[in-house]
Amino acid sequence: MYKTLLGAAAVALLAASPALSQDKVLTIAGSGGVVKEITEKVFLPAFEEKTGWKTKFVAAESNILLEVRTMAASGQMLYDAMEVSASSYPQAVREGLLEPIDYSLLDPDNKLPAKAKKKFGVVSASYSTVPVQRLDKNPEGRKMQSWADFWDVDTFPGPRSLKQQPEYNLEFALIADGVAPDDVYDVLGTEEGLDRAFAKLSELKPYIPVWWTSGAQSVQLLSDGEVFYSTTYNGRVGKLQESGVDVEIMWNGGALHTSHVGIPKGAPNYEMAHEWIRVRTMRPDLELEYVKKLPYPNFAPGLFDAMSEEQAKTMPSYPANADVQFVANEEFWAENIERIRERFDEWLLE
Amino acid sequence: MHARSYLWLFLPALSLLLLFILAPAADLLWASMFDPNFTTEHFARLVNRGVYFDVMIRTIRVSLIVAVICTVIGYPVAYYINLQSRNRQTVLLFLILIPMWMSILIRTFAWMVVLGRDGLVNEALAAVGLVEEPVRMLFTSGAVLAAMVQILLPIQILTCYAAMTEINFDLIRAARVLGAKPWQAMMRVFLPLSLEGTITGLVIVFMLSMGFFITPALLGGRQDTMIANLIEFQVQRLNWSFAAALGLVLLILTVVMIVLLRGLGRMAARRILKGGL
Repeated sequence: MYKTLLGAAAVALLAASPALSQDKVLTIAGSGGVVKEITEKVFLPAFEEKTGWKTKFVAAESNILLEVRTMAASGQMLYDAMEVSASSYPQAVREGLLEPIDYSLLDPDNKLPAKAKKKFGVVSASYSTVPVQRLDKNPEGRKMQSWADFWDVDTFPGPRSLKQQPEYNLEFALIADGVAPDDVYDVLGTEEGLDRAFAKLSELKPYIPVWWTSGAQSVQLLSDGEVFYSTTYNGRVGKLQESGVDVEIMWNGGALHTSHVGIPKGAPNYEMAHEWIRVRTMRPDLELEYVKKLPYPNFAPGLFDAMSEEQAKTMPSYPANADVQFVANEEFWAENIERIRERFDEWLLE
Repeated sequence: MHARSYLWLFLPALSLLLLFILAPAADLLWASMFDPNFTTEHFARLVNRGVYFDVMIRTIRVSLIVAVICTVIGYPVAYYINLQSRNRQTVLLFLILIPMWMSILIRTFAWMVVLGRDGLVNEALAAVGLVEEPVRMLFTSGAVLAAMVQILLPIQILTCYAAMTEINFDLIRAARVLGAKPWQAMMRVFLPLSLEGTITGLVIVFMLSMGFFITPALLGGRQDTMIANLIEFQVQRLNWSFAAALGLVLLILTVVMIVLLRGLGRMAARRILKGGL
């Protein structure tokens, strides 16, 4: 008798819990670490306040595309909105993993600038891949000024690290070899240019003990002293400096990217996802809070007007910084990534 | 009739085998050959590009070395444990098992702390004054080997121990009574009897090593890439068909090597039993 009651109670409880989770929740996938902290502090509360929905933020780091592809294949999309990095965007579009953005829903008054509105995503951040040097590991009184210095293992001895992908590393190699940043993609488009970039990278290969795969790893390597010089994303350097590691960004020759927020194919809450995008990309007040911690500004109307000079200097899109960087050409990579990546993967194994 | 009806009892085991081993293997084969149309390009790529062959050879070599080192260290340890009293044995086995309570990932991270530039070993060396500059131990093949041996050693110890407990010590005493010196009794009576179990342990460690990817990924450099790392890499790149091809190759290689090792083991056992070492 008791057993039957217990069993019935258990079943009732189990049946009830799915009903409870019918509570309106928006699931967002994005980077972890500092990005997650700030998003949870600045954007999520604003969204929840405005719409009355709850949010769930999943830190999927560099695996977002992989997860979305798996979910799309199985027919069960768990994410409503996702961060699409600059390099993932062309691939995600090509594989049909994103829903088109309904701009009549998002931005009926056309407040966002044209360059922020892509077909399958809205620009949510501009960031840079930049080389970072540990000042305490530099030889007396010297500082790296260019990619040529990064490649100069005699003047600046010590282990280095680069991201484990061909994108941007090939451009850096060409710049180190003397190509002007504006001509980089013209040179890279030719076979000789490609060979030249790989040859230059081969020069540095023996001095790279490990190739980083996630932003957190690149910072950890610098912090542990496993490498003295590495590329990383500009936003992670602030926290590294705060934690007491003496590092400095070298903007010269860095690559400027834009990342987006997009809606994966089959997202359960397509319309509400637009509300999230609006909160994330069009609110200058929230964005100002965001860039205080993470220098990844978006195109929220009126943003730069509200910033102080000192703050603006840490932004990748600040004129003095933007002038010495080159704009990463994601279209070039979208077209050529297949063949170059295969060559790069095998070059790594040699 | 009735005599045959016991065969039905095999059904659960067979369906488990089919569901969890054969079906996924077939699926892997399918995925590697249909991308989505029939193609052999992935297998062609594996064969044509020398780098993949290098990785395969390296994986086998590293796994063999790890298995042999584990045996060389594990066998004497198991023997020593076997000689102890029952209570002592329990305590010792318990001590050996404790590291296995932690996941492989945590143990690998622990190795990073030990071997890092500012890690424990370098600090100790610097404190003693043996080295001026920190020695680079991370991201080398040595680090991978050391960590893999440490992780897989308990398995070999336990397997050898299990084989040894079966052996009746009276046989050793009988050999001594018949005039054998201690090391002769060891070599010609004890060793052959424990050989079967030891080889089994070696094969198990080899098999596990072939699939390792966390340790080479975190502790090794480019030159330590193993097949499992390649698979992970390709899956990340969304080249799932190529990854499936790699997975299939790993499966086939491991099976072939296991058959070879067992065969060699049996030959060695017969040699020892006939003529002694």
